[in-house]
This record gives sequence, structure tokens and C-alpha cells, in this order.
Amino acid sequence: MSSAIKGFAHGNRGNGIRNHQLILPSVICSTHVSRRIATEIDAVTFAHQHGCAIIGDDVAGIDNFFIQLADHPNVNSALVIGLGCETIQGQELAAKLLERNESTQYRIIQESGGVEGTVEAGVKAARELNTSFVPVSAEITTLRVGIDNGRQFPGISTLKGLLEAAGHTVIISDSPFSSAESFSRLAQEKAHIVISFPSETQPPSGFPLFPVINVASSSILHQAIRADFDIAESQIDAEITALIESVANGTHTIAEKNKSGEIRAPRVVRSV
Amino acid sequence: MSEKLFAYLRDNGSWGLRNNVLVLPLHSALASTARTIADTSDGAVAISHDWSGEIDSDLRRILFTLSGYASNPNNYAVVFLIIGNAEEKSIIDGAQALGLKNFTVLSLPEIGSLEKLQSDALVVANKYVAEAKSQKRIEAPWSAIVLGLECGGSDALSGITANPALGVASDRLVELGATSVLGETTEILGAEHLLAARAIDPEVGKRIVAMVSRYEASINYEGIDIRGAQPSRGNIEGGLSTLEEKSLGAAKKAGNAPLTGVLEFGEKPLTPGLYFMDTPGHDIEQLAGFGAGHINVVVFTSGRGTPTGSAIMPTIKVSTNTPMYSAIPDLIDLDAGTIADGLETLAQVGDRIFAEIIEVANGKLTKAERGGHHEFALSRMYKTVISEY
Repeated sequence: MSSAIKGFAHGNRGNGIRNHQLILPSVICSTHVSRRIATEIDAVTFAHQHGCAIIGDDVAGIDNFFIQLADHPNVNSALVIGLGCETIQGQELAAKLLERNESTQYRIIQESGGVEGTVEAGVKAARELNTSFVPVSAEITTLRVGIDNGRQFPGISTLKGLLEAAGHTVIISDSPFSSAESFSRLAQEKAHIVISFPSETQPPSGFPLFPVINVASSSILHQAIRADFDIAESQIDAEITALIESVANGTHTIAEKNKSGEIRAPRVVRSV
Repeated sequence: MSEKLFAYLRDNGSWGLRNNVLVLPLHSALASTARTIADTSDGAVAISHDWSGEIDSDLRRILFTLSGYASNPNNYAVVFLIIGNAEEKSIIDGAQALGLKNFTVLSLPEIGSLEKLQSDALVVANKYVAEAKSQKRIEAPWSAIVLGLECGGSDALSGITANPALGVASDRLVELGATSVLGETTEILGAEHLLAARAIDPEVGKRIVAMVSRYEASINYEGIDIRGAQPSRGNIEGGLSTLEEKSLGAAKKAGNAPLTGVLEFGEKPLTPGLYFMDTPGHDIEQLAGFGAGHINVVVFTSGRGTPTGSAIMPTIKVSTNTPMYSAIPDLIDLDAGTIADGLETLAQVGDRIFAEIIEVANGKLTKAERGGHHEFALSRMYKTVISEY
């Protein structure tokens, strides 16, 4: 058993290893405003292309995806930014989030005076959330460690054994091609941290809500950009538990430093 | 008001109304790097997307979109960021075939790290920006304008004020020899027969009807009655009752000009005239289709109000009602609500929209451009089945 990790108590979201304030755009039309707010207060956000002109199973699917992201243990508070006429209505999304977490607010562009008005109102609301919901430090003994097994890493069972011996819970996602879909899945599974084995022809990548430790293979691409990976396959057995402990305690991974993380949402039907 | 056009002439004879330097990541993992490059540059723009090179049934559509977007004549030059796969090469080859001449390809594995990719790309982007700034606009013919017609967040006034006023401006431009493209298949469902009746020949008429039925069939395949899913909640709150009512109003953006042709998503019109392009009603996917189809200026009418714009095409926003225009003034360029209030006629607002298009074409920045709105979305079919027609 490794020593306890110093994390943050995030109420019903659980204990997290990051203290993220999430600016959540309910629709693509509010992603730019969300980014401006996030930049101003050093919060996390992400661009996405959803929330409107969706039909069928995608309505509940995208709504649920956003709810899961806002309910992630690494999130301290969530500010929803809506446009006003979208399918996934910002204030309704916020109401659903509020049922689980008090530290939720929303602002709507069409009701807040446009872009500048909403940036101003959003920054103010986000600062209020920060003041009202000061995170309490918490000791975490069991991490939920996600594994994005994009290249069918042969040492996966050894790694799983190592992590479990250290007291962690392991969630494995076998992605057929890209890490982005795995990350979305692992975020919904509330992984605190993810170890990514991108396929030999895929670059390392990240996700806004959790640190991703990227493991380099011996492929030409990975060796050419070795500096963008946190660790090599050959170092896994000896170093992974210490690396996880360090990252969980606050050391930024390379993907976090690069602020990388375009999310890929689960979709079934074309936009209308 | 100047009635003369001044634009940037490209080597293949097309005209740019802007002289953008576009930083285009061809993998989603390079999107944040592209954004940082644009943000720290002397005026380059970037887009983000969520394609990580997936090879699936949407691949052809994605490659076509990115090739078209890169080669839009509003781009002076493109800096491609790649990870070095065959699909990326096909996008760049496609863009060249569509007329892109000035570009640099920066490969992450050749450069060795994201950090160095960022600093190398910044140097290249700034060099292009300096070149672009030294290029002069020259007097251009009316055919230089390739106008896109879009609406979003429609309300009960859309079909009475902003849309028909835009139709007046569109008709005038088509008459002068420009190109005007109506998009959003969802928005003409139930009004396709009116456009078909204006087709320059029966074949074009048949194509637009077939295109709309193909669209409706693809949605029905999912077991969803599109006529039940539209108008959207926002539209209903804005006072629209049925999809047909919304469509009859939406089609008015295209005025009364004859319909010259029908375009697939992202396909570029080859001769002047009025066209219809098969794009979704999703505002940003639709704008991506226009960008890929080499449209160089867009007029976007809205009842509810939207902040969105494009990294490469100036997008003029027109409100259908004055209360919305007054409530969110930093999003809307022109108000057509004056028609409903009896303060102006359709023709007068049409003239104002026409004049604004010319001014914006000549370099006046739109509110979305000033606000730095560079939204982008790839249009995908996902698991929706679409048959050829």
C-alpha cells in the first residue's frame, strides 16, 4: 500500500486529485464565451460541437455526458454557460447538476447582455462559486486509475496487478483507434487519473478533467516525439506507482502542461 | 456607400474578401497547439476539431471538409500541423487541387515535440501574416462575392423581416453576377417545391427535391419524424408552430432568383447564380460546409441571437426583432426588426443588408470577427444511414 495522497473533498462528487473549476458550455455556441471565462480565472473548459440540432438518443446521451463530466470527483464547482435557444438548455442542465452538487451555477448568453455581458457575469459567478465552496483537503488511499489501452499493451495484466497491489481500482478501456473516445468513457467512470497507451500511430493526448500519463511505445512516431510522453513502456514496472503518486499529489503531466484535451462526445445520429 | 468591390485576387482566378493565415491542425491532439499559435501570433487564426484520424464511414466527408476549408479563397496561406499519416496527406493534396497555393506543412514527428512545433509554426505563421498585410486589394467584379445565407434561432418574425430582407439583397447580388448559396436542408423541408419551381432546368428541380427526401429518409431511418422534432424548442418559444412555417420563412433568404444548381455538403459552386447546399441546420456544421464550399461572406439571420462566427468567413448577423438587437448588441450587426415596427420597408432593410455586405466584403470587420469568434464543427453522419440519390 502506497502512502495516502493529499487530495480535495468535493462533496457528492467524491474526493479528487485536482481542484478544477469547470466552465461547461451546454452548446457549441457558448464554447468561446466559456473559454474566455476559464482563461480569466484559470478554470478548465473544453470546446465541443454538441448541444443543439441533436435528435433521438443523442439528446439524452449528450445531456448525460455533460452531467457525468460536471459530477467528476476532480471538479470543485461547475458553471454552465448556455446560449438560450439550444436543445440542451443551460438552465435545465444546471438544475440537474444542482440535484447532485450545490456548487453549480449557470449564466445564459441571450439573457446576460451578449458576449461581453456574459463573460463579465460568468467571471463574477465563477469567483462566487470559488469563495462559497472552498475545498477541504482529503486523504485518498484508493485512486480510480483509468487505462486507455489503445495499442493492446502486452504488459497490461502486470500493470493492473501492480496498481491493485498499491490499493488502487483499475478501469480499462480498450479503444479501437483513438484515445479521445476512451477518455470520455473513463471520465464517465470517474477515473481520477489515466494511463494512456496510444496506438503506435497516434500522438499523446489529454483530457481537461484528469491528468493523463502518456506511455511511449517503440514506434517511429512515439520515439520521434519521446519528449511529449511522460514515460516509456520499459520503465512502467519500476516507475509507474511512484509516478502516479507524484502526479496524484499535484505534479503536472506533459499533457496537462500543454493544456491538451479536445473532447469527443458519444454520438449516434447526424445533426439535423 | 461604395458600390465598388475591392478584394484579393488568387492565382486560380478566385477572389478572397479576407487575407487570413489559417493554422489548421489535422489531428485533434494538435488543436490546443494551433490555438496557442494563433493567440500568440500577429493575427493568424486557428480552428479546433475533434477528429483524431479515425477511419470510419465519415472519413470521406471529413477529408473533403478540411480540404475545402483550407483552400477557401479567403485564406492567404495555411499552416498545416500534422502527425504524418496518409489521410493528412490526402487533405493537403485535396486543398491544392482546389486551389491552395501558399502553405507550409509542419510535421510533429519531424520537429520532435509539441513545444518546438508551436515555436516553429509561430515563426511561419508570422511570416505569412507579414506577407498578407503587404498584399493590396484590387478592384473586383461582382462575381467575386460568394455569399452564404444562413439562419439560426428563428422566431415568428424571421419569415417576415430579416429573411425576406436578406432575400432582397441576395436577389440584387445574383442579378449583378455574384453567387448566393442557401444552406440548411432541415430549414427548407416542406418548402422544397417552391425552390424546385424556380430551378433553371427540370434536372436541378428534381435534384433539390431528391436531396430533401434523402435527408428526410436518413432521419426517418432512425425512427424519428423530423417534422415532429422541428421546429426546435427555441423556435417554438420564439413563436413558430410548424416545420413548414419555419421552412417557408427560411427559404425567403434566397429571394426570388432562379435556382442555378444544387451542391453537396462543402461542394463549391462553379458558376455565378443562386444555389442550394445540403447542410445540416446545426449552425456551426453548416458554416463549416459553407467554408469548405469556398463561400467568402455569410449573412446569418437570427430571432434569438447567436454569438457564433467563423475563423475564415466574415459573418454578418441580422436580428429579426428589435428587442433582441437591443438586448445583445455585441452580437448583432444589423436590425431588421424595424420592418415589423413599421419604421422601414423590406426594400429599405434589403438595401441596408446589401450595403453592409459590400462594406464587409471590402474589409469592414463584423462583430463576430471583432469578438474573435472562430467556432468550427465537423459534420458527421455517425451511424445515420444515407443513400445516394
